Amino acid sequence: MTWIDTTIDELAAAEAWSYRAGATPATEPTALAALTLGVHGRTEAAERASRWLVEYQNVDGSLGINADQDAPHWPTSLAVLAWCAADAAANGSPRYSENIARATRWIDSVGGKPAERTADLGHDTTLIGWPWVEGTHSWMEPTAWCVLALKASGQGEHPRTREAVRLLIDRLLPEGGANYGNTWVLGQLLRPHLEPTGVALLALAGEEDQDGRIAKSRAWLASGLGPTTTAASLAYGLMGLAASDEVPRQADRWLADAAVQTRTLVGYQPRLTLLTLAALGAECPLITLPRQKVHG
Amino acid sequence: MKRDASQHAAEGAPQLDRRALLAGTGAAAAGLLGYTLLGQHAAEQSVFIARHQRYDGPLEQTIRDGLLATGFDPAPLPGKRVLLKPNMVEPTRASPQMTTNPAVVLAAAEVFRRWGATVTVGEAPGHVRDTEMALYESRLGEALGDGKLPFADLNYEEVGWVVNAGRRSPLPGLFFPRAVMEADIVVSMPKMKTHHWVGLTVSLKNLYGTLPGCKYGWPKNVLHHAGIPQTVVDINASLPKAIAIVDAIVCMEGDGPIMGSAKPMGLVIVGTNPTAVDATCARIMGLDPSRVSYLSLADGMLGPLAERSIRQVGEPWQDVASPFEILDRPHLRDLQSKRPGVLTS
Repeated sequence: MTWIDTTIDELAAAEAWSYRAGATPATEPTALAALTLGVHGRTEAAERASRWLVEYQNVDGSLGINADQDAPHWPTSLAVLAWCAADAAANGSPRYSENIARATRWIDSVGGKPAERTADLGHDTTLIGWPWVEGTHSWMEPTAWCVLALKASGQGEHPRTREAVRLLIDRLLPEGGANYGNTWVLGQLLRPHLEPTGVALLALAGEEDQDGRIAKSRAWLASGLGPTTTAASLAYGLMGLAASDEVPRQADRWLADAAVQTRTLVGYQPRLTLLTLAALGAECPLITLPRQKVHG
Repeated sequence: MKRDASQHAAEGAPQLDRRALLAGTGAAAAGLLGYTLLGQHAAEQSVFIARHQRYDGPLEQTIRDGLLATGFDPAPLPGKRVLLKPNMVEPTRASPQMTTNPAVVLAAAEVFRRWGATVTVGEAPGHVRDTEMALYESRLGEALGDGKLPFADLNYEEVGWVVNAGRRSPLPGLFFPRAVMEADIVVSMPKMKTHHWVGLTVSLKNLYGTLPGCKYGWPKNVLHHAGIPQTVVDINASLPKAIAIVDAIVCMEGDGPIMGSAKPMGLVIVGTNPTAVDATCARIMGLDPSRVSYLSLADGMLGPLAERSIRQVGEPWQDVASPFEILDRPHLRDLQSKRPGVLTS
């Protein structure tokens, strides 16, 4: 039995999905579980996860972070992806269209708070993507997740999606990579990080930029991943590369080692879930769903 | 269970975890710390400074001596929960001066464990969602394993809500993670660093890392929009059970708190009043604490800034002071306590 089999069995057997064992069921771990369980043919468990997301969808279409906290709403985009995957596997009998429609309407209704451009900050503060929390600025990961959700739901050409793609490219560092969403601050170039770079490249799959930042980001990511890369960074990093069919040949070994290592820490289930998604390579639903809708 | 998000959508709207993990954030600590809470901090406070400190030196003894010298009473500690909160905002092995050194964390843990407390280390890294990476890059992860210390990922724990006791920002309340809510004492364990927006970051600002990213974002932009100085004060006022142990052995100057340069100082600074500790750190760094926005707001409410109100124990701050480089930016220029004179010839 491989680490993937073990993880999928555990996910399928779970009553609910949370950030750590016994904690309040949470939206992000549940959406990720739905995605990987569905791909691995655990239909009943995947449906259970998708229905949990339905149960906790707010009236306005958004979802909060967990069963107790109906705000902030940044995981809404993850639920959309889970439902899109479920419907894509439903052989022409989609069950979550109404939930997806309400969630994407909510996504369209909110945006990050823009600001006047200033020499203190290197990025274009007027571009609007999505914030972690309503009323605050647009940041890298929530914007990337909303781009993925909108592409997966067939709205890849929506003006909000296109502006958000421009934002993501603008927030890539000149020599490649991304962090939480700043480039230059007070004249200082900041450092990139693996995880947000991977998430950004997932959202930017199939996109082009003028100055090669996407290609540089792929190169930076490829050079930064390795046997000591921790689980979430490794998973998103590999997914970001797989989105352009650039999976390192050592990926399977790194994933297996990361799976062993991450189990030593509290709250490993969501990280293991990510590793199983990354192990799918280009067949990961976070890659196939947006691609099908945009190109298919 | 469908709910109307509009009823609760505003960040900061009062919400309580149904698991009722709120045990109150100050009641137990008030007795433990041996001082009364909000509004009573104008009285004299003690700050301990130890020099010639090294990461491979007897830090446990230094920290124990410092706590006792500043009036910390360990007698009530057996069975109590102590949360050590280091700074791991955005760790990278390329810049160890950014994060609290694991040796200091381990030494503090040993002090409190020997006094009978149950010790947990917790942090909500502000710029990275991969906390496992933060533990690896800061080298804290391997140290925690060596010290058999549990770690609480404060970014993703269940949360409880408390009224904003500071009322300096418009936030009506603050969400704290379970490990913070349940701790009897929170030990702010910052690295002494410059900060490119507010001048310096030490023990008060370090408590930004007690708030969960899942509620405030990465970065915790809700706090930025509500005002950095104001929310620093609000967090500390709402969490009146914090003491401070500062890693000032190798510090950061210049473009802190992330991109600055290492500045070796060889100091460990300890106190039961974080405001007094930070005021002392500011003086050591060559900054006037009364000109630092959040310290000015905290003055008299959370603790004293005035030299006459801070009893120095161990080394006098004047003997260890060494001005830190700060960015030459308009919003930082007035912070320095001694500005160079205008060239006239």
